[in-house]
Amino acid sequence: MSSGIRVASLDDIPEGEGIAIDKSVTGTADDIALLRDEDGSVWALDDTCTHEDASLADGWVEGGYVECPLHSSKFCLKSGEVQNLPATKNACPHRVEVRDGEVYLFPNEAP
Amino acid sequence: MSSIIEPATGSGAGPSASGGERPVGAATAAPRGALRRPVEMNRNIDVSGLVDAEGGLLDRSVFTDEQVYRQELRRVFAPSWLFLAHTDQFHKPGDFFTTYMGEDPVIVTMDRNRRIRAYLNSCRHRGARVCRADSGATRNFTCTYHGWSFDLEGKLVSVPNKGGYPESFDTKDWGLVEVPHVESYRGLIFGTWNPEPVALREYLGDMAWYMDAMLDHDDEGTVVVGGVHKWVLEGNWKLAAEQFATDWYHVNMSHTSALTVLAPSGKPKAEIVHRTGRQYTDPNGHGAGFPVHPRNRFDAQTVHKWMDYDALRERLGEARVEGPLTNGHATVFPNFSYLPVNGSIRIWHPKGPDRMEVWAWTIVDASMPPEVREAQRLYNLRTFGPSGIFEQDDGENWSECQAIAHGFITNSVPLNYQMGLGSEREDGRHPGTTSELYSDAAGRGFYRHWRELMNTPAWHEENR
Ligand code: FES
Ligand code: FES
Ligand SMILES: [Fe+2]
Repeated sequence: MSSGIRVASLDDIPEGEGIAIDKSVTGTADDIALLRDEDGSVWALDDTCTHEDASLADGWVEGGYVECPLHSSKFCLKSGEVQNLPATKNACPHRVEVRDGEVYLFPNEAP
Repeated sequence: MSSIIEPATGSGAGPSASGGERPVGAATAAPRGALRRPVEMNRNIDVSGLVDAEGGLLDRSVFTDEQVYRQELRRVFAPSWLFLAHTDQFHKPGDFFTTYMGEDPVIVTMDRNRRIRAYLNSCRHRGARVCRADSGATRNFTCTYHGWSFDLEGKLVSVPNKGGYPESFDTKDWGLVEVPHVESYRGLIFGTWNPEPVALREYLGDMAWYMDAMLDHDDEGTVVVGGVHKWVLEGNWKLAAEQFATDWYHVNMSHTSALTVLAPSGKPKAEIVHRTGRQYTDPNGHGAGFPVHPRNRFDAQTVHKWMDYDALRERLGEARVEGPLTNGHATVFPNFSYLPVNGSIRIWHPKGPDRMEVWAWTIVDASMPPEVREAQRLYNLRTFGPSGIFEQDDGENWSECQAIAHGFITNSVPLNYQMGLGSEREDGRHPGTTSELYSDAAGRGFYRHWRELMNTPAWHEENR
């Protein structure tokens, strides 16, 4: 596959937070949330929460999960698997690579 | 309206609590449909006969009567500037603190534009609190009942099963009710429900001169150390508020044991026992009393040694340094009080006629090094913390007065506020009107203003 889309510098994403990448850049149906865990690792999920319409990029990123800022459903950063109600559907994960402090996104590729 | 933008204190970019284009009178803009609250539900009583400020007499029912209390919430708390928080509690958007204005729960938070705003902490759906934490940081306030979610600007941003509502349902109509005016004075944030208040600075008037003795030691201002102590007391909120406005009189009697403990020799010095000083009384009901003495110390040695009195004299003038800076007590009407020497600031939240909640912060000069801050924190904790040796005496007095106040005969016997009657004057050294250190002048002023508010229809009564 491709070498990915360079979407951000690592420094753009504070640990424990996320940023949203517009679908015009990713070419996907939804925007994609780049989420940086507290250990520094970066993950990507479809940005719109599967419950209502919160942006997961606004969520709380901690210990391998992102917590939705609206009703607190949690999703696994790696698999997108939903952990608790009110959301019931998993979030779609995308592969991310960090090279030389730059973040590359591979839309629709499994991490 | 005017506004006071705060200089940064403690953090890089300081928060500002200022006026702006926030919806004025949001509380009355809520959709009401066919609802009309019958006026008989809020019947008001004329309290002229309960307060004789000129003769120094007070009817004890002002501390016990349920109807008086409900009218206070409507006419004293709803229109007045009420203390909310310290600016140092907000550094990033989403930082919040929950408190009360009267009995109304409010969230104070910093919005995305770093403006301090306050909202009624009650969901517009079925009324649950949308924030149940004491303080913290968040992106949204989500109601835990059915999940309505409000952003930092108070807007309703998410409604589960929104499709189930009629087409006429517009989320714009159902945002959090905003406190229309939030302003700050030297780090102290106040809010009011009054849609057209006088500016906070104007409301404080000459009282600001006395407050500056605690808040304006240097350009850096004050910060909060530790959290907020909260405790419940039996006692009407006014017992505490009036005492902090007007009562040095109790010190030698009520605090005998505490003064003895603090005296190195085990015997308080004559100069402490026989203090003279002044008491300030403000037309808006504020009050402050302080001994006047060139070396008027009452605090921790570490703090005392750190203070640069020459610089303070230069900045604040001799009258302040020898008076309200070093000791004393004060109340900003209605229910915010402070002790300048301790850096203790507190609010007396009313919880029915018979009960109050005390919420107390310790503030220190931002410029204080860690060991001085710690000395101040400990000093305040030991003297005026929840179990402080002075605080315990005061709480005991208020609860004692309240506990018996419902007796029929007891309740009908007037109370005395006649000390210093007629002694009020301009003394040429302190701004505004002052009386003696031992005086009830500020108490009479407190109840005079209370009576005036109680007998004046508030904004929410006029617009119906
Ligand atoms: S929108 Fe994410 S849990 Fe409701
Ligand atoms: S009471 Fe808040 S969502 Fe129902
Ligand atoms: Fe006292």
